[in-house]
Amino acid sequence: MKKATIVTLILLMLTTAVFAAGTKEAGAQKDVTLSVLWFNDGDESEVFLETMDDYLKANPHVRLDMQIIAYSEYDQKLKLMISGGNPPDVARITTNTLSVVVDSLEPIDNHVTDIEAVKQQYLPSMVAFATNDKGEFVAYPTEATANGMLVNKTAFDRAGIDVAEVSKTWTWDEWETIIKKVIAANPTMRYGLAVDFTPHRFSTLLYQFGGHFLNADQTNIQFNNPGTIDTLKWFKHVHDEGLVPKSVWLGSENPAELFQAGLVAGHIGGSWNINTYNTNVKDFEWMAVQCPKGVINSSVPGGKFIASFKGAKNQDEAFKLMAAFADKQHNEQYARGTFNIPSRNDAEVVYPSNSKDFEVFLEDLKVTPAFTADEWKNTNLSKITTYIREQIVEVLLGNVTAEQAVRNVDQKGAAYF
Amino acid sequence: MKRGTKGNFHQTLAPMLFLLPNMLIFGLFIIVPAVQGLRMSFTEWGVFTQPRFVGLANFRELAGDAVFWKTFTNTLTYSFFTVLLIMIYSLALAMMMHKNTIKGEQVFRSIFYIPSLLSMISVGIAWRFILGDEMGIINYLIRLMGGNGVRWLTDGKLAMMSIIAVSVWAQSGYYMVIFIAGLQAIPNELYEAATIDGASNHEIFRSITLPLLKSTLLVVLVLSTIASFKAYELITVMTKGGPGYATKLIVQQVYQVAFLEDRMGYASAMSMVLMLIISLFTIIQFKITGKEQGHE
Repeated sequence: MKKATIVTLILLMLTTAVFAAGTKEAGAQKDVTLSVLWFNDGDESEVFLETMDDYLKANPHVRLDMQIIAYSEYDQKLKLMISGGNPPDVARITTNTLSVVVDSLEPIDNHVTDIEAVKQQYLPSMVAFATNDKGEFVAYPTEATANGMLVNKTAFDRAGIDVAEVSKTWTWDEWETIIKKVIAANPTMRYGLAVDFTPHRFSTLLYQFGGHFLNADQTNIQFNNPGTIDTLKWFKHVHDEGLVPKSVWLGSENPAELFQAGLVAGHIGGSWNINTYNTNVKDFEWMAVQCPKGVINSSVPGGKFIASFKGAKNQDEAFKLMAAFADKQHNEQYARGTFNIPSRNDAEVVYPSNSKDFEVFLEDLKVTPAFTADEWKNTNLSKITTYIREQIVEVLLGNVTAEQAVRNVDQKGAAYF
Repeated sequence: MKRGTKGNFHQTLAPMLFLLPNMLIFGLFIIVPAVQGLRMSFTEWGVFTQPRFVGLANFRELAGDAVFWKTFTNTLTYSFFTVLLIMIYSLALAMMMHKNTIKGEQVFRSIFYIPSLLSMISVGIAWRFILGDEMGIINYLIRLMGGNGVRWLTDGKLAMMSIIAVSVWAQSGYYMVIFIAGLQAIPNELYEAATIDGASNHEIFRSITLPLLKSTLLVVLVLSTIASFKAYELITVMTKGGPGYATKLIVQQVYQVAFLEDRMGYASAMSMVLMLIISLFTIIQFKITGKEQGHE
């Protein structure tokens, strides 16, 4: 009897153990639906899907619920999801969005053993953007971006100007002389330069002319400074001279379309335009050149990231997906496939073409002052940028002077700091 | 007694039961958000922060906000001309097409009605391609003929005129259908009698059509006024409210303040002012039309 009881107990324990193991196994393989909020801003969908496919093959119990939102609606949708207590598990975010939602992001520090080792894998400017006030690393950088100038090489050639050579040392004054010759030599070309209708792209000029948005310790708005006023005056001057099309800043026409149509000789835009022009421009030769020098040479750093949120339902799986996007193999694959600048230090990307164009953007990025990244990660600056854009337009229209516009911005902006 | 109870049910309770689903939806999606909006207008509140009661501070700030008053003036200008032109244009279309006297009338009705089926975003994109300064079709043709092009969307006054014209084009088909229904409800005998009495077309329109169309006119007036005060997509796509503030309406400013500047409380105060204006206009319109109908 005693023996029978012992055997029964052993059997019972074994059965329990087997079932317990089974339960654990079943728990690990429990089906998970990962909500992913996404936007596309170029031809990168295919490359992203390849990364997601790799992740899903390694994690067959995961299903992705992708919500792809137009970028113009993206920030609003994401903010409402977060404030409604229903954030997505994973979201793609830009530097602009990052500055707004930074406090809602789940720190990567909580999900890896050696956060410093993780940070060291990425470009310093990207790490700076993705670090919150507490020093926590809150988003995996997927790509670095930079602002720079792309020019219609064919148009410069027609004017007998070797743009690759002159752009190595040119200043904005020299650019003005040169660009007038280019327009004169190309009957169908109407303008010299188009600048994207965003304060971020405008800040490329602002920094070059020695201006800034915030004070030195980033604690208050300080748009009222000589560099900013000079930039605004120069920007109005080139509009009034007909060197820059009014239809972009006054009529929100797309500068990339104007460039592709051969109507402007140059475009100050983001590095992602290399991908767009590589696909779309067939009628003329184009290239990236160093931006003319104002007081200094400068670009504006930016980037895109992938992050999860505090309170997200499936954080473990979310962080695995994010890690997949940020690992060396996929980061290189993404940068190569989409003509973007990789966010990792160790990425070795050989682009199918246009490698020199990327080098030019990177050269501009290297001489860019560090405070530019600090300004663009400032949450309060992001709240005033639309008003700044409106005030720039008011200057262009002649409704206010540059001096009045910077005072208006400082007056309104002070309320946010 | 029993009959009386049954009568009460048919006369009062039954209609209420039929109205209940709509009243519930109206209450949940209109009244509750409106009350919430009013509550928020007395707070300082960002999307990620807790609301803080600030009393009338938002409304005081609004009184001295030059951009708000610019958008207010723009909204009145846009609404006045859009509503006026919609009334004239859609009534004219309806007058031409309600008698089945024009060959291919059904086709014309469809052609005029189709724009009102399109989303305003599509309409805006299409017209930006037509009116764009550099890439627009009209300016392309003007330049082909040796001209310089017209600054349809980059000159403040022309931009406002352009968005009014496109709004009228896009919405008139819808109101034309309402007017056609109103015109077809007028007894034909009245026109026949007037014609026999020797009345001119102008007299017939003034003495028969217009008075009998008054209730339809009121419906179109109220609907188009409310729609014009809420215009958002078309203007955002065509001009982004520019150049400068030239075509920016209150609704655009509310969006900017709420979602870009993260000032939900202040944006709610703006929305409350907008709601008051719309209510005021609607009451005035009802009063005027009601008074005139009462005199008859």
